Amino acid sequence: MISRQDFLQISTRAIFWLSGLLGLGGVMRFLSFQPAPPPPRRFDVGPEIQYPLGTKTVLPDIPALLIRDKNGFVAISMVCTHLGCTVEYKSKAFVCQCHGSRYDGEGNVTKGPALAALTRLKVEQSPDGHIIIVATQA
Amino acid sequence: MKLVLSRSSMTKINSRNLRIVILLVTFVLVVLAANSSALAFGPEDPEEPTGPEVTPTPLLSPRQLQPILPENPSMADLGHQKWWSVCMACHGDAGQGLTDEWRETAFGEDKNCWTAKCHGTSHPPEGFIFPRIVPPAWGPGTLKRFITADELQQYLFDEMPWWDPGSLTEVEGWNLTAFVLRENGSLPADLELDITNASLVPVHLPIQPVRDERGWQIVFIGALGLAAVGLIAVSNQHRERNLPRPTTRREADPDSLAQNARKDPSPPLSPSKRPSFFHHLHPPTIPAAQARWRYTLGAGGLAVFLSLVLLVTGALEMFFYVPTPEEAAESIQVITYLVPFGGLIRGIHFWAAQALVLIAMIHLARVVFTGAYLPPRRFNYMIGIALLAAVLLLDFTGYVLRWDEGIRWALMVGTNLLKTIPLVGEGIYRFVIGGDSPGAPALIRFYAWHIFGLTLLLVIGVSWHIFRVRRDGGIAAPKPVRPIANPDQISEASLETVQPTRITRNELVQREVLAMLIAGALLTLIAALIPPPIAPPIQDSPTALLADARAPWFFLWVQQLLRFGDAFWMGVAIPLATLALLIALPYLFKRDQAAKAVLGRWFPQHGRAAQVILGLILLGWIVLTVLEYRLP
Repeated sequence: MISRQDFLQISTRAIFWLSGLLGLGGVMRFLSFQPAPPPPRRFDVGPEIQYPLGTKTVLPDIPALLIRDKNGFVAISMVCTHLGCTVEYKSKAFVCQCHGSRYDGEGNVTKGPALAALTRLKVEQSPDGHIIIVATQA
Repeated sequence: MKLVLSRSSMTKINSRNLRIVILLVTFVLVVLAANSSALAFGPEDPEEPTGPEVTPTPLLSPRQLQPILPENPSMADLGHQKWWSVCMACHGDAGQGLTDEWRETAFGEDKNCWTAKCHGTSHPPEGFIFPRIVPPAWGPGTLKRFITADELQQYLFDEMPWWDPGSLTEVEGWNLTAFVLRENGSLPADLELDITNASLVPVHLPIQPVRDERGWQIVFIGALGLAAVGLIAVSNQHRERNLPRPTTRREADPDSLAQNARKDPSPPLSPSKRPSFFHHLHPPTIPAAQARWRYTLGAGGLAVFLSLVLLVTGALEMFFYVPTPEEAAESIQVITYLVPFGGLIRGIHFWAAQALVLIAMIHLARVVFTGAYLPPRRFNYMIGIALLAAVLLLDFTGYVLRWDEGIRWALMVGTNLLKTIPLVGEGIYRFVIGGDSPGAPALIRFYAWHIFGLTLLLVIGVSWHIFRVRRDGGIAAPKPVRPIANPDQISEASLETVQPTRITRNELVQREVLAMLIAGALLTLIAALIPPPIAPPIQDSPTALLADARAPWFFLWVQQLLRFGDAFWMGVAIPLATLALLIALPYLFKRDQAAKAVLGRWFPQHGRAAQVILGLILLGWIVLTVLEYRLP
């Protein structure tokens, strides 16, 4: 049987630590606040004629590579799937400066440490013939 | 100390004289300069054409005509000539770049350059294809990738003109730089740009006369050095005067000698001579073995000193730093190039922070390699590890506060690593970044952690750490030797061995001040000689300057590890496991071993395993860092 004094002591201690935990939890909630995530960004990259058949254009602001072949438009995101650095496009391959990942011209991994292929971005055409690329937030 | 004072007052007088001389000289220079610039801008008046005769064509605007050289052409005037003959065709008469309007004015019918005969796909041998966009060369929003004139010159020298890079001579590069800066409104009047001053001329900030602070720096470092020398002289004198004291004490009361050796040996002091606040932070005396350079390496004390320097210089930087994504990088340029001694203060802050990482590691190595982490000092060892973690986080957050192209990828990688942690990763990421990608909330968070949260932890941790050193019986040292088993055996020889085993707090404070003076002088010297890294503000197109994708040096080892495999295991698990291993070191040994441990010696028998573990960690750290550093 637990004595009255022990009970008081233990419960006081427990409440003391509980209040500390509650306070910490409150501070964590406070510090974790953030506004609602912004909607996906849409980039108007100009009229279709700017990108003739068979061209590959680096669009540094997105960043993405816009390919136009006979099947239409394909946009490959140039954000490395490893840890988010921007990859470079040179001689039909993507290379990441940060940790040396490599991707082929289609965006498939040819050398680690990246595990996933580069993301394909949605390409839309506006009624007036402009190309719109929808970049999803990483 | 007297000697030091008189020296510094002498330098004061000297510097006052110097200032008068400098004022006079600058006055004369300004008057001369005003005359010569009046000459330089004279030909603006169209009435007196002094240059070679040019037949004006109605098609050409005055700016398109070959500029007329004034009688005493400045660098910028010569640069203007070169601009006219080499750069203007593409970059425009007003530095506007290849705009439609400029093509219309300059080339008329041939204005569609990319299909024209010189620059089309089937160009003649001397022609070439050029890029679709030729950027403007000055004005708002231009020259973003350059911070100082020397970078601009280097770029022009290496990369321009577009069709024949490297064809400019060095002098032409400087002349063109001066011209572009003048047009950009950022060329200090009458400055002869060259390699010695160009790194002090910012491209994007308003014109300021270039200040030469080297004289002041030399005087400052010299004063610190002289004070150190003076202090050594004073303490030597003091020691000589104090030597005979033990003999008289022995005669008075030989029995209390052992006791006296443990107490402050001086008699009751008059109020004016009682220990000051700073002396009172120290015990009256400590065993000399605890204050031996070759044992402590002075690392703990130096770390405290560096922390204080960081607090002061950091507080100074706060007066000018603006923690917003738009202005952060530029406010650092203002601190570096415009604020008097701002470059030096930023340099000291930077180098003190880098040195603190190194010194903290050395301190850790000393503690482990001398077996000082065992109980009763185990708790203080834990505080020390926490302080090391705090220092690394402070260094990383401080690095991010630059918010320029140089930190962009380190920030991206460092924060994306958090996301790879299973279950809680996303939450931690949001906690750190305050959003979905690094932006204004991230910067303000890093700022708050750097200047307040982590700093507060550091201050509390350091105070606690120092308190625990004293509470745990001082720095780990051999048990005090008591050579006097029998008071009758006291001899001069044994006294010699007893007396130097303890030092007073006066001596201790003197040594500390000496170390601070030397460290302060060295730090100022390094900060004056090697400017800390700085890069252009973060630009929208991330591919613009991808070359600098390096982590800060103290995290290069993580960057190297990340090349080997899974991001979570390499970038989060292994570093945390290393930290856990350091924390576990004192628990690898049983309590009875701790009691038997020989303290106060390098590489004692009892802690071999711990020594090997730490040695391997340090070796791995160094090897990985060097491997990553040596990558192209």
